[in-house]
Amino acid sequence: MNCDEIRQDYTSYALGIADDAESAAIAQHLARKCPDCVRGIASAMATVTAMSGAVQIVEPPPRLRRRVMATVEQTPRRSWAGVFVPWAITAAMSIALVAIGVSGRHQLGDTPKLQQALSILNDPATRDAAFGEAGRPSNGRVFENPGKGVVFIGANLPRIDADKTFELWVIPATGNPVPIGLFRSQSDATAVFVWPGPVASAAAIQVTVEPQGGSAQPTTKPFVVTKL
Amino acid sequence: MSAEHDEDLARRLQRRDPEAIGDLYDRFGRLAYSVIVAIVRDAAVAEDLLQEAFLRVWNRAHLFDPGRGAPGPWLLAIARNRAIDRVRTYDPGLREDPSLFADMERDVLNADHARVIRKAISTLGANQRKVVELAYYEGLSQTGMAERMGEPLGLVKAWVREAVKHLREELGQSVAA
Repeated sequence: MNCDEIRQDYTSYALGIADDAESAAIAQHLARKCPDCVRGIASAMATVTAMSGAVQIVEPPPRLRRRVMATVEQTPRRSWAGVFVPWAITAAMSIALVAIGVSGRHQLGDTPKLQQALSILNDPATRDAAFGEAGRPSNGRVFENPGKGVVFIGANLPRIDADKTFELWVIPATGNPVPIGLFRSQSDATAVFVWPGPVASAAAIQVTVEPQGGSAQPTTKPFVVTKL
Repeated sequence: MSAEHDEDLARRLQRRDPEAIGDLYDRFGRLAYSVIVAIVRDAAVAEDLLQEAFLRVWNRAHLFDPGRGAPGPWLLAIARNRAIDRVRTYDPGLREDPSLFADMERDVLNADHARVIRKAISTLGANQRKVVELAYYEGLSQTGMAERMGEPLGLVKAWVREAVKHLREELGQSVAA
């Protein structure tokens, strides 16, 4: 979609009522940082925000403030420089290790992969979600950017037979899982998987074990499911 | 709220100052809670979702540009998205990107605008008001609205466009930009 085609959908996108295909097309367009359309959507967002003024005011219970405060006070007080960047570094290092150590035929080809991963990780529009618990089976984090793709970083992944593979799926808001790509873990049961490309309306990410070559639809119960 | 207040609040959120969340709650918690209640119609669920919305702000404050952003509108967008996601599967996509709230009119949530928007909605035609309600409170897609109302999709889209155009005109250029 070009700017003229998107312009008439600014408000429906801002309200979240554009259909999936329209939303995906607009998200891809916005991901390219088109200044006119970003301004147009931002203006529509202001209108949507103003619409909250029509809502009948309901007093929240006094305990809710305490509850909100308690929740944020319980979360770690690390600076974002101490949280976000190490993930980017971890991803970069892991990808570099994959490039060097796993498959010789990928050594040159993985420089773009590293750049793609960093581009996704450092984009403010990227959403991320953790799964599992550190030290427990199958834990890690997924980064998703509608216009750029997906980075999956996992540890303690299950051992699978040589004729099996991991398959990553995007779960759209409506409809069936969409296969994104295949990957295998390294000998230490970790994996970094990068898929560059637009991701339409991802509501969640899941990973299954599939026969080598992958499946059109999941054939096993996902061992990773994380809502974005 | 002044630009200085917004900027100071955003900077304190980025420094992970819990009191900043308290200030944000005092300024916008009641409105955000009201938006959620209007959508989910369940007080207990609304409490959970408001907590979730504040936690999302807390965890994503580093993405905000303190000099240009408006934390209140951002919180409200997140609160509405969480609520709609509860009543139907909903992907906020880029609609929670803080950059979309950069330079947003800072008094977009003031009492004058609230009065204007209520009056503007009350003067909409029945079908236009219906699609605004289905859009804002249910996040129903235009295709879903057409099915619900038993009307052609093109007509529903026209009602949405006309309704929003009317609201924007009533709110004036300061919001419509």
